[in-house]
Amino acid sequence: MDDGTAIKVENVSKKYCKSLKRSMLYGVKDIGRNTFGLSSHSDRLRNGEFWAVDDISFEVKKGETLGIIGPNGSGKTTLLKMLNGIFWPDKGKITMKGEVGALIEIGAGFHPLLTGRENIYINAAILGMNKKYVDEKFEDIIKFADIGDFIDTPVKFYSSGMFVRLGFAVAVHCEPDILLVDEVLAVGDTSFINKCYKRLHEIKSDKNAAILIVSHNLYILERFCDKGIFINHGKNTSYGEIHKVIGDYQVVIHQLMKNQESIAAPLLEESCTKDVKITNVKLLTQDGIEKKVFNFRDTLRIKIEYESKDIIHNPQFQILLWSYDGKLISAFGPHLDNLKISNIDKGQGVAECCIEKLPLLANRYYITVGMYDKTRTITLDYWAADTHPELSFGILPNLVSTTMGQMASICHFDSRWLIDGKQLDRT
Amino acid sequence: MKHTTEKITTYEPDNSLRKGYRFIFGEIFNELKKNRWLIFQLFKRDFFTIYKQSFIGVLWAVVIPIVSVGTFIVLNQSGVFAIGDIDVPYPIYAVLGMAFWQLFSTGLIASSNSLVSAGSMITKINFSKKSLVIASTGQAIVSFLIQIFLIVILFVYYGLKPNIAILLIPITMIPMMLLTLGLGFILSILNGIMRDIGKIIVVLMTFLMFLTPVLYAKPTTGILATVTKYNPLYYLVSVPRELVLKGTISEWKGFLIASIASFIIFIICLIVFHLTETRVAERI
Repeated sequence: MDDGTAIKVENVSKKYCKSLKRSMLYGVKDIGRNTFGLSSHSDRLRNGEFWAVDDISFEVKKGETLGIIGPNGSGKTTLLKMLNGIFWPDKGKITMKGEVGALIEIGAGFHPLLTGRENIYINAAILGMNKKYVDEKFEDIIKFADIGDFIDTPVKFYSSGMFVRLGFAVAVHCEPDILLVDEVLAVGDTSFINKCYKRLHEIKSDKNAAILIVSHNLYILERFCDKGIFINHGKNTSYGEIHKVIGDYQVVIHQLMKNQESIAAPLLEESCTKDVKITNVKLLTQDGIEKKVFNFRDTLRIKIEYESKDIIHNPQFQILLWSYDGKLISAFGPHLDNLKISNIDKGQGVAECCIEKLPLLANRYYITVGMYDKTRTITLDYWAADTHPELSFGILPNLVSTTMGQMASICHFDSRWLIDGKQLDRT
Repeated sequence: MKHTTEKITTYEPDNSLRKGYRFIFGEIFNELKKNRWLIFQLFKRDFFTIYKQSFIGVLWAVVIPIVSVGTFIVLNQSGVFAIGDIDVPYPIYAVLGMAFWQLFSTGLIASSNSLVSAGSMITKINFSKKSLVIASTGQAIVSFLIQIFLIVILFVYYGLKPNIAILLIPITMIPMMLLTLGLGFILSILNGIMRDIGKIIVVLMTFLMFLTPVLYAKPTTGILATVTKYNPLYYLVSVPRELVLKGTISEWKGFLIASIASFIIFIICLIVFHLTETRVAERI
């Protein structure tokens, strides 16, 4: 452990019991065994138990940040609690070097009847700070919380935002060698969240602290972490450099979303009148070749083939472009450019949307295609990506995404640079 | 700024067993020493909040003794219940007895509930749980101190003078406090796992109070006399009371045995708590 390793987790497992009554019984048994100096044989599963965390190993060095991702109930918080020593692993070994600070629940131990000021002392004591230290940091804490006169009001009259502000203000003022952060930053307004991350950054750089963050916010993880671990059903599914882990996570999450949406999407498709039926959608290159993968700045031609039962006046087309994790990137449609389609004839037809100089960076994307009546209140037909996998496509890495590395974004717009009024030329 | 020797913590199944029993006392001692301020803060929190949203506030501490003693006076005068021969004014005898008794009962009820009522704190933060149990018994000490005022008023009313031996009172209270704390440790854990324990304690406390000569004189005949003879709680209540009223200790032998027993119970319970406290967070 002299190589700067702050956290070492070796084959750690933790079991849980699903039944409350059984859990009581097992609890009494374990306590009984521990009392008489017997091993609790925690490495075996008893009836009704399951592994909530299963054989997880990783290491975090000083100054490093590890992000933990995984769907709900995958064992992230359990893992964090074991690292904090709230309870012990049932198998394996955890070694922590240095003082540990944890932001697992904000404002735990706050008493609703006491004022903010009084609660600061109690909360700080619970978090392991001593009196001298709190006295020193007291003004900083109040300043960080920034809740004005409310500091002398009983906490029960606080808004949930103020509560979190005060709780976080206390918690981030311990200066640990290892900081464990659970999904606690979800509340609070943007400016406060920014302040919190700035503070985490300070702790990381000033104290060379090792930080562990559990979050569902991939954007924050990508910006903030060096390494990542993706836990699914308590098992280590992917571990290593943060981008790789996020990528693996997205694949699994997309698979999950697909399974869920396949129930919802047919409903949406059922609500279509089908006066016009979309018969095919093709993603084509400039030269009209059907492809699944495109390059940055390519031209993307989306060809929609349809069959109409009747003449339709002023129909509307809409294509939505989505990122892999479900963020809407852009919408396309004649109406958005203030254009009108006068009518489409009975029988087969083709509509084509041509997007030039695609500004998308390496990732996976998908589109949805919809045809509507002139008021856009009635859906004639709709194709979603989960029932029509041909609507998804990928963008290959290019110079921009490679150069950007850590900061990889979704889009990249063309820009010109002028230095002292003189345009920079490409060399 | 830089630590000269960095603290290395390891977590493994059956951690304490691995390390061996001989380290336990050192661990417990260091933990309590480190957390003195925390204990005080937790105690302060309980103290300031328990009566905060109430009109008569701390005076609630004297309501229970007054009502209980009052009931017994009425029962005695109407001949339903015989208090027995007591050579001091009964109210003083009874209120004193209640004060020492409540140190035990209030303390035990508070401490056995301390982990459960802390709730999410236990499951979300790693802090010294011993401090929580210890701080919770502080409530009992506060009520005791408030009841002293009631006792002083009674002394003045009956024109009695306290004996100089009263200074020994704090020492004679120690065994009772150790017993309370020890049992509190164990029961708080068990209550954390099975909520039945908390309910049983409340019922048991009422039962034990009537079984122990707190509000009546020591019985001389019958089954209750035998029970009292072997009831350590009797000695822990009656000896400090006798010391206040008469300045003597007549049953020192029983008191000594009860004290040693209390001390042993305290040590055993503390060790068991130390070995099993991490089991609570996962089951509470």
